[in-house]
Amino acid sequence: MGYIARRLGQAIIVLFIAFTGAFLLLQALPGDALLIKFENPELGLSQEQIAAVRETYGANIPLPVQFWHTFTGFLSGDFGYSVQSGTAVRVLLAEVLPATLLLAGVGFVVAVFVAVSIAFLSTFTRFAWIRGVLRSLPSLFVSVPVFWLGIILIQVFSFRLGLIPVINPSPVQALILPVLTLAVPISAPLAQILTRSIDDISTQPFIAVVTAKGASRSWVLFRNVAKNALLPTLTIAGILFGELIAGAVVTETVFGRAGLGRLTEQAVANQDTPVLMAVVLVAALVFVIVNLIVDLLYPVLDPRLKRKVGANA
Amino acid sequence: MAACSSSAPEKSDSAAAGEPKTGGTAVYLEQQTYTNLYPPAAGFYPNGGIVNNITDRLVYQDPETLEFEPWIATEWEVNDTATEYTFTIRDGVTFSDGSKLDADAVAKNFDLYGKGNTDKALTISEAINNYDHSEVVDPTTVKFFFSKPSPGFLQATSTINSGLLSPKTLDLDLEGFGAGNGTDIIGSGPFTITDEKIGTELTLTARDDYDWAPPSAEHQGRAYVDAVQFIVTPEDSVRVGSLIAGQADIVRAVEAQDEKQVEDAGLTVYAPQTNGVNNALNLRFGNKLLSDIKVRQALIAGIDREEVINTIYTKNYPLATSTLSKTAKGYVDESATLTYDPTKAEALLDEAGWKVGSDGIREKDGTKLTLVVNEAAPQPRSFEALTLISQQLAKIGVDLQILKADAGTYAKAILDQDQVQIYHSMVGRADLDVIKSQYYSANRNVLQNLNSNTGEIADPQLETLLEAVASEPDPAKRLENDKAVQDYLAEQAYVIPLFEEPQVYSAANWVQGLGFESVARPTFYNVWLDK
Repeated sequence: MGYIARRLGQAIIVLFIAFTGAFLLLQALPGDALLIKFENPELGLSQEQIAAVRETYGANIPLPVQFWHTFTGFLSGDFGYSVQSGTAVRVLLAEVLPATLLLAGVGFVVAVFVAVSIAFLSTFTRFAWIRGVLRSLPSLFVSVPVFWLGIILIQVFSFRLGLIPVINPSPVQALILPVLTLAVPISAPLAQILTRSIDDISTQPFIAVVTAKGASRSWVLFRNVAKNALLPTLTIAGILFGELIAGAVVTETVFGRAGLGRLTEQAVANQDTPVLMAVVLVAALVFVIVNLIVDLLYPVLDPRLKRKVGANA
Repeated sequence: MAACSSSAPEKSDSAAAGEPKTGGTAVYLEQQTYTNLYPPAAGFYPNGGIVNNITDRLVYQDPETLEFEPWIATEWEVNDTATEYTFTIRDGVTFSDGSKLDADAVAKNFDLYGKGNTDKALTISEAINNYDHSEVVDPTTVKFFFSKPSPGFLQATSTINSGLLSPKTLDLDLEGFGAGNGTDIIGSGPFTITDEKIGTELTLTARDDYDWAPPSAEHQGRAYVDAVQFIVTPEDSVRVGSLIAGQADIVRAVEAQDEKQVEDAGLTVYAPQTNGVNNALNLRFGNKLLSDIKVRQALIAGIDREEVINTIYTKNYPLATSTLSKTAKGYVDESATLTYDPTKAEALLDEAGWKVGSDGIREKDGTKLTLVVNEAAPQPRSFEALTLISQQLAKIGVDLQILKADAGTYAKAILDQDQVQIYHSMVGRADLDVIKSQYYSANRNVLQNLNSNTGEIADPQLETLLEAVASEPDPAKRLENDKAVQDYLAEQAYVIPLFEEPQVYSAANWVQGLGFESVARPTFYNVWLDK
């Protein structure tokens, strides 16, 4: 119990630091969203009119007051309004978050499936040439730019073969190509780490003992090797979740999907502070949760860790 | 490459093949998501494309002839000094929430657009000058009063920035007009917003009881299509690809480099003109590097504008011959002052005392002739064009740097002539006032004639000439004043016009009747699907 409480405390501190850091950095940037929006020559406003608008938005309020206001707002679940569109940030998030979580979640599952398949097949297969091909796949996958892959998939499967429409697809159709786009680059490092771990563990003495006792190849792989190889892979998987969000930015833009990535991209372009603050916090929250889960899974997978944790608590 | 500058832009309304059919949904692909539906903010194309179809205007401006015709106002009267406008409002027009479009509603619209509401962060419309107040005479008569002559007001009532909204909608604040509230924005137009998915989709549905199209229009009654589905598709290749693959009916923002692909597939490219101030480089003469007219003339003579158009753009981007577009009101041909002559350019720079240094860049008193121009992100292929121009200028010893920066840095830099000496921009509005919008100190001030840092006016004469355009009630004299501004800008070598900017759309061959308002926003009222 003490372990979980401590990890939760750490998570809250991380979130607070992320919030403060984002607030200060966004303030330190030259210009602000109001400047970008209202001093834009396209609107043709006079300096007096701009000054009046800034007054309305409370742009002249001292920094500590703004910080306190934003912070207490966040605590009560009020993220303010997007300066660019005037829409409540809460509404924007509620609209895009499910789509991104679905895309990232399914993308991650597919990536894990692909990675595990590559790793196991490349170890299990008896033919050396297949092993060679499979083992070179991750380096190929990791070097494919996400946007390029997305466009190629659309060109081939939607425009040339006409299999999946990009415009007005069904909910399932809408997921297939974006998930593939996202899963390929994520699966690459996972497959690499997993293959490497399997190789390492296979050469360890206890495997030789198990094999000598007459265990079959698959028995050894699934019962002994796989379980031990999962730990480093899990660590990487936690970190990769961050990359998943980054990949979603590109994927969502190419496929015209609603999502956190698209929202972020537009908010960055307009220095839309309230939206960016909320995005930073959501991203930090997801990251903290995923890594918390990973940490809590460690002792389950490896009993030795459980003992160590118990000793510390 | 063929000389492309003389070809006329495509006609905006294609001659309909056969009898229009009612029904169907037109799928329209947008490049960007809309940000806000407050009409004075409708200059942004994704906003304007929606506002143009859900609102009616007092007066209709024919996009071809730019003449004014009755619409919601059956007639109007302007006093001699253009300080009082009286409109008679058509009877029986309703907003889609059932409320009446009467004199009260019209007055409420213009009180907001003409004065703004800072408490609600709603800005004044750029198109309306010197607005004072309104007066409702009777349910079908409304009068507007101005503190100074406002000859551009009639045209202003025809623009999408003056789209008429229901009185209830006008009570919203800026947030209320923002994304996610589309279905709350109520106009009297042929379409209403019936569905929205923030950031990705919006549906316009035809109003069955719509019966107040401009009387001059051939088509009356309800729109032909049942609905228009706006889908945001940011990626250029996906937009064009979807159209060619038959997944979409109409797309906006076909990039110059993609036009050929669309034409090769046998699809129609529409390139309606924006009828205003041309896409141009504005030379900020208040900066000491550009204060000498010889340097400015040298820049004009040193840029091969035809090469820029032939290399970067297509025949839909005609070579500019003045600050104003050929199709704009009041246009004067200034091409004699815009000739490409690199030898003359070098001679002018020599005369001005700029000598070529060891690195090929000209210098004077230890200062290098290095100029900064902004990349105009909303304008088509701005960066590519500027890159080519900087190569051309390098040949005469001028170093042109292109400003690419994050939005905040950019927004600050373009307001400072010491950071950005050359400002790349354009503006579309089909009225003589457009030139004032672009250059006047209290409007866009693109030349930084009013120095944003010091508050000083560098050229008072330009200010006087621009004020004269916006305040002369006599139409003939106003036209003269507009010409005077163009002549002055050309004489002083303040502006390097590049091309007459179109909005480029494309549509499947079964799409009939696609039209555009005077600044090239799509009009779906006449669209029908021949399939």
